[in-house]
Amino acid sequence: MKKVIILILTLFFALPVYAIDGTALLKEVDRNLSPESFETYRKLINIEPDGRRKEFTLFSVKKGRNKIAALFIAPASEKGRSTLRLGDNMWLYIPNVGKPIRITSLQSVVGGVFNNADIMQLDYATEYDVEKVDDGGKEYLLHLKAKTKTVAYDKLKIWADKDKKLPTKIECLTEKDMLIKTLYFKDVKDFGGGIVRPAVMETDSPLYKGYTSIMIVAQIKERDFKDEVFTLTFMPNIESLR
Amino acid sequence: MKRVCLLAMVLLIILPARAGAKETYSFDLKEIEKKPYSFGGYVEFKPVAFGLDRNSAFYKLRFFDNPKGKNLLEANGKIQLEGSYEKNIFRVYTKTNTDLKTSYSGESERSTFYELYGSVKPLHGLKFDAGKKTMKWGKGYAWNPVAFVDRPKDADEPEQAMEGYILATADYIKSFEGPLKTFSFTPVLFPVYDHVNSDFGNNDNLNIAGRFYFLFYDTDIDLMFLTGGSKPDRYGADFSRNITTNFEVHGELAYVRNAPKNVLDAEGNRYQTEGEAVNYLIGIRHLTSFDLTTIVEYYHNDAGFTEAEMKNYYTYINSGYDAYLSTGNTALLGNALQLAEGGYGRANAMTDYLYARLSQKEPFDILYFTPAITGMMNLRDGSFSLTPELLYTGFTNWEFRLRTGFIVGTRNAEYGEKQNDYRIELRVGYYF
Repeated sequence: MKKVIILILTLFFALPVYAIDGTALLKEVDRNLSPESFETYRKLINIEPDGRRKEFTLFSVKKGRNKIAALFIAPASEKGRSTLRLGDNMWLYIPNVGKPIRITSLQSVVGGVFNNADIMQLDYATEYDVEKVDDGGKEYLLHLKAKTKTVAYDKLKIWADKDKKLPTKIECLTEKDMLIKTLYFKDVKDFGGGIVRPAVMETDSPLYKGYTSIMIVAQIKERDFKDEVFTLTFMPNIESLR
Repeated sequence: MKRVCLLAMVLLIILPARAGAKETYSFDLKEIEKKPYSFGGYVEFKPVAFGLDRNSAFYKLRFFDNPKGKNLLEANGKIQLEGSYEKNIFRVYTKTNTDLKTSYSGESERSTFYELYGSVKPLHGLKFDAGKKTMKWGKGYAWNPVAFVDRPKDADEPEQAMEGYILATADYIKSFEGPLKTFSFTPVLFPVYDHVNSDFGNNDNLNIAGRFYFLFYDTDIDLMFLTGGSKPDRYGADFSRNITTNFEVHGELAYVRNAPKNVLDAEGNRYQTEGEAVNYLIGIRHLTSFDLTTIVEYYHNDAGFTEAEMKNYYTYINSGYDAYLSTGNTALLGNALQLAEGGYGRANAMTDYLYARLSQKEPFDILYFTPAITGMMNLRDGSFSLTPELLYTGFTNWEFRLRTGFIVGTRNAEYGEKQNDYRIELRVGYYF
């Protein structure tokens, strides 16, 4: 009898967690981080173990589930470079080279811990399925699995604030659960237009011991774009959207 | 010498000031405020040491009347200025280039507008440009047989800015849902007259070129053409596609009607051949999990010289050199110089080449450090060049590159007959 009661009690307490629709929760997290279509200004800072820093300023635009483009506006050595992502396809345009070249999600156009997939992040729900959701008290822990092999990280663990439905920490893992990097979300800020989200994303990686990369969001707002903006031919003209 | 030295000193003075500057990170909205105008630039100092091959054909051709020792030093400087002004749908853009050089032959300076054009963009999917502009068609990294309206690329420096041509062009872009995601059309009006693009080809022609681009089933596809009389009509296609996330494949194919070639026969007589030429390139780009990027390209240039044609040319230079030594007569060498300009002296003048570049990003956790090695082989005669380099971009807006180049080949082989056996160069660049 005891065993049956324990089983019922266990099921009773476990029930709210299983009742959580993981996919819906992930979509909510995505929407809280950004509208489906938006423009944003971000700064990436790579910090070396000796404290030396290198900064990059980007203007990014996104439309729908799988279109995103970014333009480097500083420093001078990177100014005018732009990147484009259409689903799994990524390109880099360098003004001197004069034509877009294909790049991959694991490469990094800025060096350091952030790679191209981090810089041109699509909605998590676009690239990942929710395998499991754990209830960790004040936070949910979402276990995500990449939908295809082309996604940069095979698995993600997302710790999300229960009230705000915003991530606080994300671990990026390989198929064999090897940690590639950890992202920490900090400084939740009201950007206007109903967007309240972390303004700072910090990352470190066991693969880059002692190095840290930081992404700061200065401005983010909902904006719709024509599909033609997200094309190779338009890449040299992204500046005109600012 | 003064000007190149001055440039080097300016770079030296800026360097410690910037490198030692303490930075704090902040993100002020003023940093992202857009102004209607922009100004920027790049300065470069590049000293080069050459190890000469004094028995090679091109050494004899270049230094027959001014022989050198084993080594030659050269100092190069470059200043590029860039500016734009934008108002509503209009924009004007310019990029100037000044090359400074101090070498055995004295000092030289060449300044030109690389680009200077005006744009009108009435819609996101429609833009018109007119003026001097680089188009840079093609998907190849080292070579672009389909770059019909560009100057030839330097395979040793494929990422270097290039001078454009005076033209009028437009971009029409249309996006779709479905397997065809993007279509764009780029027509080009390309005048060639006495003082307009006169180095492109036959004068007094208004040429028409065009490129159609398709993103179809995740594959980039371009179709292009050039017609009008300044150069033989030509048609081309290229593609690029990721086979897997980290493995890209690309290719180009160009068909040229009546491609002319100035050739030298075994007796030293010059004649011109004309025939159809099919030039193509196939290449891959691969990235490993440990950030090693490999680029491999095979290039076939149908209109290039055969081994026998090149051998005739080298023999001609050697005969001219012997004639100069014995009689002082420079007629043959003068002809050989003309032929060099007419094709024999251009980079990759023969038919089949292999290019391979391996670059390792940030090895040993050294951020912004990229060592690389590049090899280029003439598949017809087996001669090749090997270029190891170290690149460091850790200081904001600075770029340091140390590069050596070794040239290997027997007599009568392309790389064996180049004027150098090796070269060592340092390139210090600063963006502002």
